[in-house]
Amino acid sequence: MNEELEAICFEIISQVGAAKSNYVLSIAKARAGDFEAARQMIAEGDKLFRDGHAVHMKLLTEEAAEETKIRVTTKESDLKGTDIITGVAENDSVQARTGAVPLLLLHAEDQMASAETTKLMALNFIDVYQELLSLKQERLTK
Amino acid sequence: MKRILLCCNAGMSTSLLVQKMQKEAATRSLEVEIEAFALNEIMEQLENTSIVLLGPQISYAKAELEQACAPYNVPVAVIAMIDYGRMNASKILDDALALEEQA
Repeated sequence: MNEELEAICFEIISQVGAAKSNYVLSIAKARAGDFEAARQMIAEGDKLFRDGHAVHMKLLTEEAAEETKIRVTTKESDLKGTDIITGVAENDSVQARTGAVPLLLLHAEDQMASAETTKLMALNFIDVYQELLSLKQERLTK
Repeated sequence: MKRILLCCNAGMSTSLLVQKMQKEAATRSLEVEIEAFALNEIMEQLENTSIVLLGPQISYAKAELEQACAPYNVPVAVIAMIDYGRMNASKILDDALALEEQA
C-alpha cells in the first residue's frame, strides 16, 4: 500500500474514531443527567465525523475520476486492438485503489460505519435517560 | 527496560503506528519495548508496563483503563488526534516518554 493512502486511512480513523469516542461519552453524560453536555458531545462528534467523511469523500471522488479515465483509455485501446486488462494494470494508482483494497482502508470504513451506528444508539440512549429522569421526578412529586 | 503499550479497538491501526515508533526508537538507540493491543487484551498486559497510550478512537475507555492501571501505577494517556492522524511517531514517542518520567 502506498504511503499516501496509508496517511489518508489514518486521518479517517483518527477523525471518525474520535467522533465515536464522543458519541460513547455522551451516553455517560446523559446517564449522569447532564443532557445539555450530552448533546454538546454529539455535536462535537458530528464535527469530527464530518471532517473524516470529507477525507473519505475526496478519496471516492478521486477514484471515480480515475475510473472515468480508464473507460476513455479502454475505448482507445479497443480501437487499437490492445489488451484492455493491460491498459488498466498500467495505471498504478488505480490498481492500488481498486485492484486489491488495502485492509487499512477497510478498517477506516469500518470505523466510519461503527461511528454512525454508535451515534444512532447514543441519541436513543439520551432520549431514554431523559424520559427515565422525568418519570422518576414525576413519581417523586406524587 | 521501558515498555510502552498502545491500545485501540482491534489493535490494527495502532500496530502500524507501533512499527513506526519502534523504528523511531531504534534510530535514537532507545531501550524501549513498544507493543499494540486491543482493548480486551490489554488488561492482562498491565504488569511491568511504563505507560499505556490510547488511540483517539478509544479515548472513551480512558477512565476504565485508568482504574485498571492504578494498582500498577501505570499512567494512561490519549494520543493527540492530530499526531495519530498524521502517524507522527516521533512526537508520540516524545510525549509518552515525557509523561512516563512525570509519573
